[in-house]
Amino acid sequence: MRLIVNGATHDVAAPDHETLLITLRERLQLTGAKLVCGRGECGACTVLLDETAVYACLTLTAACDGRRVTTIEGLAGGDALDRVQAAFVEHDALQCGFCTPGQILAAAALLRTTPHPTADDVRRGMSGNLCRCGAYPKIVRAVLAAADNAGGDANA
Amino acid sequence: MPKRFVTTKVEIEGREETKVVELPSRDPAPWTESAELTVVGQRVPRMDALEKVTGDARYTADIQLPGMLHAAIVRAGAPSGRVTTLDLSTALAMPGVRGAVTMDDLPDVKLDGVRLFDLAVHYAAQPVAAVCADSLDVAERAARAVRVVVEPAPHVSTASEALADGAPLVHPTGNAPRRSPRTFSRGDVDAALRDADVVVTREYRTPVALHTALEPHGAAAEWSGGRVTVWESTQGIFNTRADLASAFELPLSSVRVIKNYMGGGFGAKNGASHATYVAVALARKTGRPVRCILDREGEQSDAGNRPATHQRVTLAAKRDGTLTAIRFDGTITLGVGGWLEGPGNIYRELYRCPNVTTTETFAYVNTAPMASFRAPGSVEGAVGLECTMDILARELGIDPLELRRRNYAERDQDKDRPYSDKRLDACYDQGAERFGWKRARARRNEPGARLRRGVGMASIVWGAGGGPPAYATVRINRDGTIEVLTGAQDLGTGARTVMAQIAAEALGARINDVRTVLGDTERLPFASNSWGSITTASVGPAVRVAAEEARDSLFEAAAPMLDSEPDDLESRDSEIHSKNNDRCLLFRDVCEKLGDVMIIGQGSRGPNPQKTAISAFGAQFAEVDVDVETGRVRVLRIVSAHDSGRIINPTLAESQLEGGIIQGLGYALFEERALDQHLGLQLNPTMHDYKVPTIGDVPEIDAFFVEGADVTANHTGAKGLAEPPIIGTAPAIANAVADALGAEVRELPLAPWRVLSAARAARPSA
Repeated sequence: MRLIVNGATHDVAAPDHETLLITLRERLQLTGAKLVCGRGECGACTVLLDETAVYACLTLTAACDGRRVTTIEGLAGGDALDRVQAAFVEHDALQCGFCTPGQILAAAALLRTTPHPTADDVRRGMSGNLCRCGAYPKIVRAVLAAADNAGGDANA
Repeated sequence: MPKRFVTTKVEIEGREETKVVELPSRDPAPWTESAELTVVGQRVPRMDALEKVTGDARYTADIQLPGMLHAAIVRAGAPSGRVTTLDLSTALAMPGVRGAVTMDDLPDVKLDGVRLFDLAVHYAAQPVAAVCADSLDVAERAARAVRVVVEPAPHVSTASEALADGAPLVHPTGNAPRRSPRTFSRGDVDAALRDADVVVTREYRTPVALHTALEPHGAAAEWSGGRVTVWESTQGIFNTRADLASAFELPLSSVRVIKNYMGGGFGAKNGASHATYVAVALARKTGRPVRCILDREGEQSDAGNRPATHQRVTLAAKRDGTLTAIRFDGTITLGVGGWLEGPGNIYRELYRCPNVTTTETFAYVNTAPMASFRAPGSVEGAVGLECTMDILARELGIDPLELRRRNYAERDQDKDRPYSDKRLDACYDQGAERFGWKRARARRNEPGARLRRGVGMASIVWGAGGGPPAYATVRINRDGTIEVLTGAQDLGTGARTVMAQIAAEALGARINDVRTVLGDTERLPFASNSWGSITTASVGPAVRVAAEEARDSLFEAAAPMLDSEPDDLESRDSEIHSKNNDRCLLFRDVCEKLGDVMIIGQGSRGPNPQKTAISAFGAQFAEVDVDVETGRVRVLRIVSAHDSGRIINPTLAESQLEGGIIQGLGYALFEERALDQHLGLQLNPTMHDYKVPTIGDVPEIDAFFVEGADVTANHTGAKGLAEPPIIGTAPAIANAVADALGAEVRELPLAPWRVLSAARAARPSA
């Protein structure tokens, strides 16, 4: 089957029961998405499938044939950093960093559907991503700041 | 010049050890409160943030080596008994399975009192075998195909069962550690209780809490030429190296432990774990690299926990609130093993009181072993002490904050010595001011209102002085870039950034020219485990000494180039400036001229001041809404004021305060390992069923530091700060809930049913 990961096409021979997370991490060496709970409880494996955030640990690779997958490694496209990544750095919205790729992709997906979120929108939209270090207050700030930056561009 | 050594006392998490320590090559004047520092104290962005937001940061779980196999662990599945059948034949016959280890293949090492993969079963999650395969998928299926039969024996799940006469034995030596019960006393508590105006006695229960680091315990191991390299998610690379060298009977120089990034530790990752031994043993047996990462169930059920306590607290006071006696009787349920942490410590230290007795009774039971968990002991002890202080305040009709102020401990009474510095009073003042304590206390709930608002507070003390030994090397490359090398670990705390800031300050370098290299036993000088909030105060001074030594060498080399004497030179922003003739040179210009002559500075951490207590302090304030119909608690606000001496990087320090507060909030409201006591099995080894706080649970947090520099503690003026914020959170929230309900809180976590029963007890009419 064929996956389009971060713009590059990969032909993957994965067994039917293999998850997208294992395919990305073990076959394509894209280890930004993390295996933490393996059952959709923590969000550390979040990637974008087409434009939507999904738990890669609950997504079968076989169901992704021909679809576009964006991982943290490809989020910025050609740029150095995506606006959400830049905001996470600027606001120190991370500590150990293990949940960070999932947080950033969840935020990126949220901003695609809700370009001007309130703090409550962010809390609701990001509630599927756990952070044990407790970077949450700064994650809220970073996502709001990323939205503001984009808002400026969109209105320009 | 030969090094000189002294014998000194070093304290970590309340434990004091005598150590031989090297005297540093120099003893710089402390950076005082008024010192003009340009890099230290600045909000420098976290230096590894870029790697972390791009996915470039490689954690142990991400290590992939050519030909690497994946391992999975098989567990006993029963809390006590003996493995009578361990049949690996089906698993080993599966395509892709490359090997297995059982007790016979592993070194004869005890971990928390249990021999590795013992066939005598001490707890349900005890590992008994491990398999490895070409893929994780096959390894996990093979592990499930291993047939384990346990001939069951009676087990104990609670301390009261374990300590009863005739209880089944967890260990042949008994169900109590040798040093239990442990009693400390000062003064005469009985006499003080007889003479007191007011005496209150209450009992509390605190739960087993799970660290729940997102990256599980794990290691990847590769042997080559009789030496082994291990990538490990650990807070202590040198401890892990020592554990492995001893277990596999290797010289220390044949074991290399690397930790570049780790996905959380919180106290549970302080040496070689089951996963480490499995990876190293399977790699040796198969001749291929092996990675062993615990699955989530393994991490939640057998990777350490904060032990449950039962506390009985008596406080006695005069009518004016002066404490006259404190008595603490605590029972700590360790699990099958662990160490004797001290929930009694905070009872002996936090408040001025001449008559104190603490008795700590420890019990082994047939559950997974405890491990240090962020401020071990004091988090538990603070619940009983601080909730009872509020009850005493109510009995006396004194404001809870005022009662704490009236019992301010000017010195460390536990060990009878002065504090190097103590600014808890400033924490009280500024915390109360920013919280609006008086106004909030004066507000009354509407009678019959469903949502009840309440406020509470708690004080914090935690030994945070760090200490020797720790070493650092600072080297300046020919392009003027600078590397700080030290064998410490960055758990996500910001140690990489903090060490670079200290080096930049001491060198007069631009922060962007400095890089910190951590976490490799083969390439870096020793630093101890990153635990006990010690890294900044332990390693920071060694980095400063190394950087000053490098700076002096650089000045020696630069002096002739600037027609000056070294003493006439000063540096700032990676530029050397002569006070003599106004000439200047960039570091880069000097180093280019030197070519490959490398400027190297070495530093070590000197002894702490003796007979002096070095502690961090804080005051935590909480405001909650309690729904008296559902029992749901919503924390609205936390204000948290801290004295941790000089803050090297306020942004990173505040991040840690917020993180500690949020973990404390989880401990107060949701977190509890659920155990079927009859079966001896854990019911919630998942992140769905063991609830950690989500982004939606987080209140408004105002966490800050009172100004200061503890120049007695060490010459950077910094003290530790990672653990204090978790200590006061749960009692502040519990006190706020009690205030909202006009009731008392006796047990954590404050799940709705506990809140409802507390509310009903307060309003018998309802």
